[in-house]
Amino acid sequence: MRHLVQPSSGGKKLAADSVDAVQSALGAEHAALWVYGLVSAFLPDAFNAAVAEGTTAHRARRDATERLLADSGQTPRPAEPAYVPPQPVKDQKSALAVLVVAEADTTVGWRAVLERTDDANLRRTALEALTVAAVRATRWRRAAGEVPATPAFPGQPAK
Amino acid sequence: MNFGRRDVLRAGALLLPLAAAVSCTEQEEPPPPDPLAALAAQARADAATASAVAEAVPALADRAKAVADARGEHAAALQKEVDRARPPASSTKAAPPAQTSPPKGAAAARKSLLDALTAAEQAAAKVVPSVERYRAGLVGSVAAGCASLREVLA
Repeated sequence: MRHLVQPSSGGKKLAADSVDAVQSALGAEHAALWVYGLVSAFLPDAFNAAVAEGTTAHRARRDATERLLADSGQTPRPAEPAYVPPQPVKDQKSALAVLVVAEADTTVGWRAVLERTDDANLRRTALEALTVAAVRATRWRRAAGEVPATPAFPGQPAK
Repeated sequence: MNFGRRDVLRAGALLLPLAAAVSCTEQEEPPPPDPLAALAAQARADAATASAVAEAVPALADRAKAVADARGEHAAALQKEVDRARPPASSTKAAPPAQTSPPKGAAAARKSLLDALTAAEQAAAKVVPSVERYRAGLVGSVAAGCASLREVLA
């Protein structure tokens, strides 16, 4: 009983070479949350449930990732005050497009974590985050009528 | 009451040289199969099934084609990595998947694709925690791709 206070993650520290990748994934989660906040004004009510689901999921992932970093003695990177969407969001079409970008960026962030850690638990976490973001990206592409609705390798950076 | 543990340790020390001797005689054992080879075979089989569905079931043609294309890409990338890690003898070309006749009817065909994608995602997810880092990225994307393809069929 050497430790009186156990950190919430079970005490497993992030390896130094994984920290940057996890911070980048956290950055993608921050950006995705901002995007979900932005788009709701441009989408009809039929999308409310999907927007709420995405918001809740990204918020939970952001919080868990911040805890993971803090428990390893790292300062979680804060959100930017604002983000610049690749194209202005002004209607349903551009709102769906920026949702796709936000989810795709999230998949890239978490796949990069997979390639920068040997920790099995962190790999499971990263795979879960990669998978749910890829599925949401697919859902938004389908809503936008994009074909194909998914890349073969979600999270693989464009070559 | 406390002799047992020490005796066990002593017995273990005696067994060590024996274990080493045994392992020496097993050097001719082939290396364990590459876990990515099974994932590649699964992807090839899924691509074949999805192609057959795309031809046989007009209502699913576009979506089954999307599954066939993506699973074909998975098969190629996984096989490339398997061959890179352990170059194959020229004669051991990957066997083409057995011809499958797709289920009749859109609902049954769709379900067979969904089940195959679920199995493929689970098999890939099982491999992710223990492979080398760059493989974890590739296999992770395959798992996420399979989950996304289910969404395509939703």
